[in-house]
Amino acid sequence: MNYFKLAWRNIWRNKRRTLLTAASIFMAVFLALLVRSIQTGWFDNLVNVVIQSYTGHIQIHKNGYWDDKDINNSMYCNDSLLRVLQSVDNIRNVVPRLEYFALSSFKQQTKGVLLIGTDPVKEDNLTHLSRKIIQGKYLQNTQHGILVAQKLASYLEIKTGDTLVLIGQGFHGVSAVGKFPVQGILHFPSPQLDNQMIYMNLPTAQEFFGADNRITTVSLMLNNPDHINQTVTLIRSVINNDRYEVMRWDEMLVEVMQQLKAKTAGGNIIIAILYMIVGFGIFGTVIMMTNERIKEFGVVVSVGMQKTRLAIIVLVEMIFIGLTGIISGIAVSLPIMLYYKVNPIHLTGNMAKTFINYGIEPLMPLAFKPAFILGNVIIVLIIVSLTCVYPVRKIFKLNVVEALRK
Amino acid sequence: MNIIEIKNLTKIYDKETIPVYALNNVSISFQSGEFTTIVGPSGSGKTTLLNMLGGLDKPTEGEIIIDHINITKLRSRQLIDFRLRNIGFVFQSFNLIPVLTAKENVEFIMQLQGTPKGLRENRTNELLRSVGLGDRVDARPNKLSGGQQQRVAVARALASKPKFILADEPTANLDSKSAENLLEIMEQLNKEENITFIFSTHDARVVAKARRIVTLEDGKIVSDIAK
Ligand SMILES: Nc1ncnc2c1ncn2[C@@H]1O[C@H](COP(=O)(O)OP(=O)(O)OP(=O)(O)O)[C@@H](O)[C@H]1O
Ligand SMILES: [Mg+2]
Repeated sequence: MNYFKLAWRNIWRNKRRTLLTAASIFMAVFLALLVRSIQTGWFDNLVNVVIQSYTGHIQIHKNGYWDDKDINNSMYCNDSLLRVLQSVDNIRNVVPRLEYFALSSFKQQTKGVLLIGTDPVKEDNLTHLSRKIIQGKYLQNTQHGILVAQKLASYLEIKTGDTLVLIGQGFHGVSAVGKFPVQGILHFPSPQLDNQMIYMNLPTAQEFFGADNRITTVSLMLNNPDHINQTVTLIRSVINNDRYEVMRWDEMLVEVMQQLKAKTAGGNIIIAILYMIVGFGIFGTVIMMTNERIKEFGVVVSVGMQKTRLAIIVLVEMIFIGLTGIISGIAVSLPIMLYYKVNPIHLTGNMAKTFINYGIEPLMPLAFKPAFILGNVIIVLIIVSLTCVYPVRKIFKLNVVEALRK
Repeated sequence: MNIIEIKNLTKIYDKETIPVYALNNVSISFQSGEFTTIVGPSGSGKTTLLNMLGGLDKPTEGEIIIDHINITKLRSRQLIDFRLRNIGFVFQSFNLIPVLTAKENVEFIMQLQGTPKGLRENRTNELLRSVGLGDRVDARPNKLSGGQQQRVAVARALASKPKFILADEPTANLDSKSAENLLEIMEQLNKEENITFIFSTHDARVVAKARRIVTLEDGKIVSDIAK
């Protein structure tokens, strides 16, 4: 096609300008993708820490439990429910828990705690709870020893081997009182958890709260978290939806997500500024390119080229330059993103210390999602289209006689 | 047979402030096969007349009828198409498309007309040969002399098989030898292929070659001599 050839030749009539424009788009796309990748990697990493240390990807409760976390909103735990869940595609771990508040007391000290009764083996598969033991030993199904979070333990001045008194209100208002030997101390990355968590095995907790065979939560870990929505749909199709609520991690961690999103706003501003600079750069090029060619536009229109056709040629030129920048930007950043997704960056210095203090490995994986690329392609195409308004307007308002006189 | 009929053509510039009558009630007709020059002092209205005739500009008043079509009534898109199919243009400053070769510049017009590729190529080669540029078909305009560029422009103007060719001072930017050469080619095309040329000039030697001389002064025709 000859018009395409014409556009192609026009692109290269000022090589340096074309290359500079494409290069500026390349830089913007490259940096934007990297920023987005780092940001999302950081975000996902932190969210994963929360998911893996506590919530799991999906939880199932009795309807209404999440809004009112009361033991009276617990549900009867039948094996068939757990078995059904276990058989749903993509579900790796199914952990039943009974969670409720109680008062802990040791010698002179008293403190409110969150008590979690769980299946020690399944819990460990999901949250690797045993790795958080800094003293003593992990839970066993047969013993009614408990694990106490570190900060809580130091507040209560209790150590392994001591006996903790727990007092609370059980299922249907029965009073719950018990004495439990401390068999291990846990360290949690989050100070909030470290201040209030107590773990015991599920039957012990059920007995303590007078809630035989009842649980408040089933926590699920998925093989592929990206397919969470399909999995939720599958779960809903096999359980009684009048009785149970199925919640995704992001529905449960609304506040955490909001905090993290606020922290990533900075990156978005950088990206916006980048694209603004590039936008003005392209606009400058387009203005120069257009004004240099006004006479030529006049010639081709006077010899019989329709203005729409001329405008299309100019658009093709601009889109080509835009695509060159986009494709090269993606081509260069893609391997970097994929490499550091698989081989996370090892953080050093203060950054690493902060991570370690929060019990998070000082690793910084980059994220990669097709949406990043799509987003950038769309942004650049929008910028290019907006700048094209100038030459297209010029073409349609072109006065042939005046253009020829230039 | 009259191919162009101009009736009471008036063009007024700056109508609101100090009106300039670039053309003042001009009536004239042209026939197929003419070799006509428009002369007159600077500012007499030559360019204005040629622009109106080529449908590049609209008159203030009057009619231009080309082959039974009143082009002053055509809408912008129709007018562009009319120019493509009926009128060839040669400009003073050559105005070839810089990124296309001599051959591609000529082909470009036929491409706009939708001529099939094979036909296009044959005709392009033929036209470039007839203007004496058979050996420079692949050169870009910046590799050609002014005279050569203007000959490509003539070939381009012929490409669409127009009813007539308009040329506003086609030799003004050429040295005398190139100018003479261009005129010879135009004359030859006129004689051998019956191509109609209407061109303006200030050059006495060019005027001498014309067979009809129309003189403008202050936007009016003051003489119209056929040799
Ligand atoms: N766009 C315009 N705006 C205002 N006046 C114009 C415009 N174009 C031409 N004129 C005026 O119209 C008159 C005729 O101009 P025109 O260009 O047709 O003359 P010309 O015979 O071609 O002159 P030259 O030999 O210098 O090319 C002149 O007085 C000129 O100043
Ligand atoms: Mg003039």
